[in-house]
Amino acid sequence: MEHDKSYTGGRKYSNDEITVYWKPSACIHASYCYRELIEVFDPGRRPWVDMKGAATDKIIETVNMCPTEALTWKWNEEAKNQSVGNDQSNHVRFRRPELLTQGESFPEENSVSVKIMTDGPIVLKGDFNLAYSGINKDFREGLVSICRCGASDHLPFCDGQHRKIGFTG
Amino acid sequence: MEDNKEKKPKTVIEVIDSGPLKISGNFILKDIKRDKETPMGEVWLCRCGKSSDKPFCDGSHKNK
Ligand code: FES
Repeated sequence: MEHDKSYTGGRKYSNDEITVYWKPSACIHASYCYRELIEVFDPGRRPWVDMKGAATDKIIETVNMCPTEALTWKWNEEAKNQSVGNDQSNHVRFRRPELLTQGESFPEENSVSVKIMTDGPIVLKGDFNLAYSGINKDFREGLVSICRCGASDHLPFCDGQHRKIGFTG
Repeated sequence: MEDNKEKKPKTVIEVIDSGPLKISGNFILKDIKRDKETPMGEVWLCRCGKSSDKPFCDGSHKNK
């Protein structure tokens, strides 16, 4: 899926060392960020990102878990960014080992992972055909999250409501 | 030109109206909470939040 680069409403948050960028339009509510590091990423707080909540390396680690480009980061010192490999950041999507299954590198075709997020949605990733409400679509390197709690306002997709209603399962 | 582009994805995912999510074909299901990972041919996953056999559908959506 492409995300519009000219999104509006993006935010950035800095500490002395790094800046974290937040693009709400790219978020699929997979919820890695607040599960890993609620001290920094707390959706119930305003502003929801508190860069003082944890050490820089822990923040980087958590941002790297984000399966989309909703959260990305950069060193404040521009020169340092040159030595950051793609495998160390999520600027390039789908390259991170965390999202591959047990060291298995999927062939181009038929690589579909279905993740049941704790108390959250079903996250579908890969090449698949999706049918919903009379629509039928082929996805290549798709990333879609399907509501499991039943409370989303954008069914069948997850819109983050599971957290508000305290869904468990 | 490229054969690959013409190929249909072999994994088919269907959102059943007021029912579960049906997934068939080639995929790996990973349940993070229950720490299970299974390659399966066909599954029905609960979308209503009421199943007592999560992540699978047990028909509970019908008793609203
Ligand atoms: S699972 Fe996220 S809104 Fe229902």
